Amino acid sequence: MSKVARALIWFVLPASVIVVCMMAWQGANQSSKSVGKSEVDFNYHIRPILSQNCFTCHGPDSSSREGDLRLDRLEDATALLRDGGRAIIPGDSRNSVLVSRIESDDPNHVMPPPAAKKTLTPRQIEQLRQWIDDGAEWKPHWAFIPPGKPKLPAGIRKKPLAKQIDFLINDALEKRDLRPVPSTSKPRFVRRVAYLLTGLPPSPADLEDFLTEDSKDFAKRVVDHYLASPHFGERWARHWMDLMRYADTMGHEFDFPISGSWHYRDYLIRAFNADVPYNQLVREHLAGDLLESPRRHPEENFNESVLGTGFFFLGEGKHSPVSTREEEMIRIDNAIDVISKSFVALTVSCARCHDHKFDNIPTTDFYAMYGMLESTRITPRPARDYEQHDKVLARVGRIKGQIEASLLPEAKRTDQASTSLIKQIAFNKEVSDTAFQLLGDFRSGDVGEWTFMDAAFKAYGVKEQLLIGRNSVEVPSLGLVSSRGLSPGVFGAFRSADFVVQHDSILVRAAGNTGTIRLIVNNFQVIRAPLYEGMEQVVTDSSWQEYRLDTHLVKGQKAYLEILPGRYFEHEYRLKSNDYIEIDIAVAYSNRGPRLQPRPEPTVYAKETLPASISGLVTSYDSLASALHDSTYFLGLDEGTPINSPVFIRGNPAMLSEEAIPHRFLTALSENFPNFPQNGSGRLAWADAVVDPANSLTSRVIVNRIWHLLFGRGIVETVDNFGLQGKLPTHPELLDLLAVTFVEQGWSIKELARQIALSETFRRSTVANESTVERDPDNDYLHHFPIRRLEGEAIRDGILAVSGRLDSTMFGKPVEIYLTPFMSGRGRPPVSGPLNGNGRRSIYMSIRRNFLPPFMLTFDMPVPFNTFGKRNTTTVPAQSLTLMNDPFVHQQAEYWANRSIASADSQALAARINQFYLSAFSRRATNPELEKDMSFIRSQAMAQGVPLEDIGRSASIWKDFCHILFNRKEFIYLL
Amino acid sequence: MRDHLNKRCMSRREMLGLCRNAFGGVALLGLLNSLPFGRKLWASGADAAELMTPKTPHFRPRAKHIIFLYMDGGISQVDAFDPKPRLNKEHGENPFEKFEVDPTQFNNYGRIMKSHWDFKQHGDSGMWMSELFPHLSTCVDDIAMINSMVSDFPEHTNANYFLHTGIGIQGRPSMGAWVTYGLGSENENLPGYVVLDGGLIPPGGLDNFKNGFLPAGYQASVLKAQKAPVANIRPQEAADSLQTAKLDHIRQMDQNVLVRLGQADEIEATIANYELAYRMQSAVPELTEFKDESKTTMNLYGIYSEDVHTQSYGAQCLLARRLVERGVRFIELTCPKVEADRWDQHSNLKDGHFKNAHAVDQPIAGLIKDLKQRGLLDDTLIVFAGEFGRTPFAQGSDGRDHNPSAFSIWLAGAGIKGGTVYGKTDEYGYRVVENKTTIHDLHATMLFLMGIDHERHTYRFSGRDIRLTDVHGQVIKGILA
Repeated sequence: MSKVARALIWFVLPASVIVVCMMAWQGANQSSKSVGKSEVDFNYHIRPILSQNCFTCHGPDSSSREGDLRLDRLEDATALLRDGGRAIIPGDSRNSVLVSRIESDDPNHVMPPPAAKKTLTPRQIEQLRQWIDDGAEWKPHWAFIPPGKPKLPAGIRKKPLAKQIDFLINDALEKRDLRPVPSTSKPRFVRRVAYLLTGLPPSPADLEDFLTEDSKDFAKRVVDHYLASPHFGERWARHWMDLMRYADTMGHEFDFPISGSWHYRDYLIRAFNADVPYNQLVREHLAGDLLESPRRHPEENFNESVLGTGFFFLGEGKHSPVSTREEEMIRIDNAIDVISKSFVALTVSCARCHDHKFDNIPTTDFYAMYGMLESTRITPRPARDYEQHDKVLARVGRIKGQIEASLLPEAKRTDQASTSLIKQIAFNKEVSDTAFQLLGDFRSGDVGEWTFMDAAFKAYGVKEQLLIGRNSVEVPSLGLVSSRGLSPGVFGAFRSADFVVQHDSILVRAAGNTGTIRLIVNNFQVIRAPLYEGMEQVVTDSSWQEYRLDTHLVKGQKAYLEILPGRYFEHEYRLKSNDYIEIDIAVAYSNRGPRLQPRPEPTVYAKETLPASISGLVTSYDSLASALHDSTYFLGLDEGTPINSPVFIRGNPAMLSEEAIPHRFLTALSENFPNFPQNGSGRLAWADAVVDPANSLTSRVIVNRIWHLLFGRGIVETVDNFGLQGKLPTHPELLDLLAVTFVEQGWSIKELARQIALSETFRRSTVANESTVERDPDNDYLHHFPIRRLEGEAIRDGILAVSGRLDSTMFGKPVEIYLTPFMSGRGRPPVSGPLNGNGRRSIYMSIRRNFLPPFMLTFDMPVPFNTFGKRNTTTVPAQSLTLMNDPFVHQQAEYWANRSIASADSQALAARINQFYLSAFSRRATNPELEKDMSFIRSQAMAQGVPLEDIGRSASIWKDFCHILFNRKEFIYLL
Repeated sequence: MRDHLNKRCMSRREMLGLCRNAFGGVALLGLLNSLPFGRKLWASGADAAELMTPKTPHFRPRAKHIIFLYMDGGISQVDAFDPKPRLNKEHGENPFEKFEVDPTQFNNYGRIMKSHWDFKQHGDSGMWMSELFPHLSTCVDDIAMINSMVSDFPEHTNANYFLHTGIGIQGRPSMGAWVTYGLGSENENLPGYVVLDGGLIPPGGLDNFKNGFLPAGYQASVLKAQKAPVANIRPQEAADSLQTAKLDHIRQMDQNVLVRLGQADEIEATIANYELAYRMQSAVPELTEFKDESKTTMNLYGIYSEDVHTQSYGAQCLLARRLVERGVRFIELTCPKVEADRWDQHSNLKDGHFKNAHAVDQPIAGLIKDLKQRGLLDDTLIVFAGEFGRTPFAQGSDGRDHNPSAFSIWLAGAGIKGGTVYGKTDEYGYRVVENKTTIHDLHATMLFLMGIDHERHTYRFSGRDIRLTDVHGQVIKGILA
């Protein structure tokens, strides 16, 4: 029977489907023909019926609730109804209104109403009735019940996890009288492990090693080898990028770059290779900037943790939105969607406009998160933070102290003018008028509510500290905030607290070269014309000037001022080694700006005028400090002003609830997380709640993802949705076993992948047993290993590996996308990247939202806009056309053929064909294959007039042959 | 329905058997472009019951094909289809003194600006149209004009995504994908959803034409009017016979896999796909060869025009007809790249709108007339729409800014009541005052005419049954025949 016909049976006999699920839960060994009394389970049978058919009008969402009845909670479902009676009377289905309404013939009375276009099957009604008669036992949704270790026989319990997995899988098979197939062959196993762990085929040399060494530990050696490969991180990072909607550009009209996106990609690769514990990985994503002791790179000592926050800004972004508030809403909504699906497999975003229709996610959950993310700022951050130089910093500090000790006392003695000036302006006379809004005045050295991020900025009071330059030492005459306290070229940011823009303009007095003053309105970053060019000023004058920001378009909006050394070039942040900025005052005004007192000239000591002892110190200070220059940046997170967001009524940012929602964790899980902190953004507390073992979702979600990636299907098929609209687990006990063990074993992804890969279940052949297929058509119980088509990345990388063109260089800036004539539109890069991507692995190709790689899209790479834990696997003609005609595939076939012809060995026809097979399919050709291939080659030689003795040297014949191998199904399927 | 499906399924086996002959030798049924079978093959993880739910069609379709003429950039309704004499009277006056003015994309408000073009009534219906469209004016009795369109977005990209996918952000399935997801294609050798790239890919890029979360097979194939109209459609082999020999050998070798596995639908489907791909190689280029078209026909479409842009858009329109004839479901035409850029005239509106109109006017009129004379207009819905309209006041001195609060689109052909004018704007053409019509309404109507109930046409993603029309949309009854 074809799969389609088998699927039909599912459709015709829905009852049998239910029974299958139910049996999985109870592990009962019952016939699938009828539902016996004890078999109705609330989570596995009843709630799905209620959720699919009733919750739209009688669920958690109060805005669409009908008849004041909700059926998602026992106390409501059994309460007295408005019209008398009770929907559910435990133990008495006959008098339960739920049942009578469902069975009613009256179109005005029947439930669900005809307009809903939903009807219950007789089987479902029977189950409802039986469940009520049995007492209507209510349970929390399965995913909210904490996972517990299943009861296993004592002999099994002590064995490694791999054996426990096999026990549960085999137990489920046995109970259904399903017969598993034997293990696959050794070469196929090696190929399976190599591809699934690293995304590349095994090299013929490795394969030979594994096969020739006769050892009991064969499987272990293979699995450990590929887990240890640096290519492991490349493949698993790509899986993770599907969740994080990774892209290098923002899409929208001009497809501007996302500054330093690839640092996040490299971070992932390193993290998966280093097997960073999953709970750590989660904390780094949500709050990597807030960790007390961040994880540091083992050799280079830079802060790894903070790079995790790079995921946040990887979404779409537009320039010139008419409303920055709406743009912020779209971004935060997307981030909430990505975060909640990826980490806890819940669709919190569904609660943006109304309470979740099915799950216990009130709309206030969404806005609690919204406030947290609104309290968070996007910021450039050095991908290699300065703390790697902590020794340098210490030395620099010491030298500075010495210079200050000799120069400051003398500077303080001279000139009283600025002292009297500071007294005068400390009163803020110039700006005390109500026509002004003073945003910050640093002339006394006080920064008020402004904050510093990273090393560069410091406030300098009058004659208290020195600014040491390359050729001089400066004593500020008046307070200021400067980014060159350590040295120009050091990164930092200086930001105001949030304020509401009330005036048409903002004046900032600044000096520097180069530095940037930005007004960030509603966290909007893509500042440019039209509309927002007035929100940014670039400072390129080392003498003090007044800079004006034009804010008349954003009056009434929340904003903050941001001062950065360096600048953005087409939205890519860059900081050159001499860049710095300093400011002393920021004032908002509408008509006429304040007249500021000019700053008195600072006292400057030219280096050559200083005593040799001091000028020597200046020289060594400078040479040390200039090494602190950071050169490469990504966009990460920082804390902003804490905000509690009101609810946007029906998702409309113009209609706000009166009450603002405090920061908190998700309601459905909140019992375990009381006293949620209200200072700061709350991201760290949120992250801690996600990875708290008391959270019933997180560990299940990640182990299910790992299972899904290895078997092609999760124990819960809907890997991103464990809510009521998701699928039920096929093996609930196994899921719990994996979840609990995973946490016990230190949240190690590699260890779990290892145990799964070492199981007998993972090692099964793909050759299904025909009679078993009839009874488990979708292979829910894994009686054989599923046939899997490789992902686009693995196909392309496999082609490169086999052809010999693969360049294994890791990390770095993405290789530009190869542009075909069919890839046009605004933002098209001026120059195409190379056809072969320089031989680099696909993860290193640029992902431009408006110019996505056609090869990858054709083979189902998801469009990066949301979390995709499960890729589609489609079969479309464009795939065949790609492998048949794409110039890249032909190019690589040619490369492969030429390399082989040039190599000294395998000149004999059969030997060469076997070499090719080993590279492409990880096995030798069978005799019939050899015969057919040789006969094909000979007939081609004949057709092309190549003498038989020259076949071995015919580039065209071998190119065609290699091209054929790329087009064999065995090349793109794991068999 | 179940019996029907069952038959389809059983016949597939037989078909695969047939395919085991020489390459390209046997005609395939619409294996992978037709439903329900293609859907099963394409959809991974989709639940069996969902796949089998009868969706196609929900009721008697009036249209079998849609040609979507996308007017990139936002055509000015008050200069083309919605005459506003008051603009002439108040030309040069300050709009802020006349009505409440919304924030705009460029925030560069000029004075109230009259149209550069005169309007006249045309046809039996007396529909107004400006002299920008002299050819189209002769077709007014076939078209229904909607003057009361609104959009949710004043920026191109979001408005484009909204127009194409029903939601203003990237990554959702395009309307063409939704249609093919529902109906499949009538031609086994051509994709069901085709975009004819006239030179301008709209802001938002190719994602306007993607499958979103639907299976990849529903995305548009982008065709260019050139020798190799689709990517990877031309064999790289020097001779056809070589490619055929290679494909034959591949298939022969692939049989080993099937023999070993006994049963592997995925692989069988992939093998069958090579047949289809092979046939597309010749079917697709044949499309763009107009050898069998008469001079009269070519002339009708403006292919002999002196304006190279009229020529190229004419070729696109003719290609659209040829695609309709071959059973393609959804065809979108993007605009030609005239010197004045798309219809997005923030300045120099007179020149830009004239050039754009000149490029498309004759070809579109030709398309309507040609479809009509061949009896194809009865089966084909033509939709002419941009993403928003333009302001009745100037941007700067001689342009107009984006206006999502009112604009005009028109529909013609299958199921449409010709000569209808639907909806009204205020006296400035700035806001809608009667029969406000949303993009969701447009989508609901397009699906309705194709026999699909937009409320029942759903796909499960992210835990929800998602529709092209989100939770909105009403069929625009007032324009239906």
